Parts: sequence; structure tokens; C-alpha cells
Amino acid sequence: MAKKRVHIIKRLNGWAVKKEGNLRASRLFDVKKEAEQSASEMREKGYDIIIHGKDGSIQKWKKAYV
Amino acid sequence: MNEDNFESNVFINCPFDKDFLPLLKALLFTVIRCKLNPRIALERFDSGETRFDKIKELIESSKFSIHDLSRIKSSQKEEYYRLNMPFEIGLELGCRLYHQEEKYRNKKSLILEKERYSYQKALSDISNSDIKCHNGDVEELVEEVRNWFYEIGVNGVKGISGSFLWDEYNVFMADFYEKRSSEGYKDRDFEKMPIPEYIDFIRDWLSKK
Repeated sequence: MAKKRVHIIKRLNGWAVKKEGNLRASRLFDVKKEAEQSASEMREKGYDIIIHGKDGSIQKWKKAYV
Repeated sequence: MNEDNFESNVFINCPFDKDFLPLLKALLFTVIRCKLNPRIALERFDSGETRFDKIKELIESSKFSIHDLSRIKSSQKEEYYRLNMPFEIGLELGCRLYHQEEKYRNKKSLILEKERYSYQKALSDISNSDIKCHNGDVEELVEEVRNWFYEIGVNGVKGISGSFLWDEYNVFMADFYEKRSSEGYKDRDFEKMPIPEYIDFIRDWLSKK
């Protein structure tokens, strides 16, 4: 079973918000900060938010609130 | 590993500096994810083995090879450009041309560069070759390597798109970071981790999927 995590992942033309286990991204943004803000509400629903660097590395890991 | 796996071995000829490390890590993941076996000079450390002998063994035991020419141009004044990568391309092409055995004549190579057409200025002997460009971008590198595997008929890549592979690599990086951090690894340990240890983690992670 997929972990309850949401990834902010670089795309060639922006940044994607993608729930782990889903085939497609939930939303795409031009600006990374906007992707982070959009994903932040998922923390209240028990999801960790993992913000990746352009190279796929872990830039920040925000734990779920619950 | 080694000679027995000629048909699935991929010789990786790329820079080993800190700036290239993110590209190398993604490249190793892509190769293993596509069910191939990376062969790289950093896979073993033996002070009793000369570098040239090691390179020769890696080339002769690999059907495939990936060469990165990102360091063909100096980035600052007084910096030497790196000749190892072009030299090893020469060894690879020589192996293919001069060995009599058919398996060597059927070897497949991919040459990558950071800036499109820069190789034509520094290595014009291969100017008629097809070369792919990654622009120093990890996602583009993953996509270009994955596409090349498909183009040459590697079975392990079928059903895996470039974007799927890139997203999966990001999930892998999260698991890698989480697992190793829980074991007490610090940032310095991640930076200094030997390549064989990183490769082992990729294989272990994929085997549990």
C-alpha cells in the first residue's frame, strides 16, 4: 500500500503535486512555492509533504499533523 | 556480475565530481530499474589494481556503455578539462572495432553531453555520431537514457515511461533518505556514501516493490 505522502516534484515545465501511488499529478504549477502551498493542506489529512530539489533529492520533509 | 552478465552490463563512463553526483545517482537508478547492471570504476576499490586495467575489464565485460562528456569544457580559468571520458570513449570504440568476436561488434553506446553540439568543437572525430543532450538536468538525463534503452531494444524498459521513471526516482529518494536517516546517517554520510552501497540500496528497494 502506498504511504500517505505527497511529493512536490520538478517537471520540465514547472512543479507537480503528486500523491504517492497515483499515476498522475494532482496539480501542476509554474512556481514551486505555489505547489508547496497547495499541498500544505494535506498535512491535516495525515499526509507527509516531501519537497524535492530539482535533482530529486530531499529538500524538506514536512510531517503530517496527525 | 562481471563477464557472465555481458548482455546486461552497462559500462558507465562519467565524471565522478561532487557536481555530477546527482546525475550519476539518477543514472544508476535508471540503469538498474531497466533491469540492467551498471559497471563503473567506483564499484570496487583495490589499490593493487591499476585504473587502466579496471577500465579495460569493465569495457570488455559490458555490451552497453554510457559516456558523459559534461566535463569536456573547462568551467573556469586555469581549470583543466577532463580527458578521461573522451579517452574511454576511444577505448570503447576500439574494443568494438578491433575485437574479432561478434559480441564486441554488436556493442551499443550512448554519448551524452551537457550543451548541445559542444562535443563537435572538442571531439570532432565523432561529429557524425548521434549524441543526446541532458542540459545538466537530472530529469532530462533520466528521460534520454530511458529513451535510448527503448531505441536499442532493451526489454526492461517496456511499459515504463520517462515521466514514470522520474517520479519513481523521486519516491525512491524519499525512501532512501527516510531509511538511512532512521539508521543514523547524517548529510555527510549521504555525500560520502560509497557507490556500491548506494547500488545495493537501489537493488534492495526494487526487489521489495
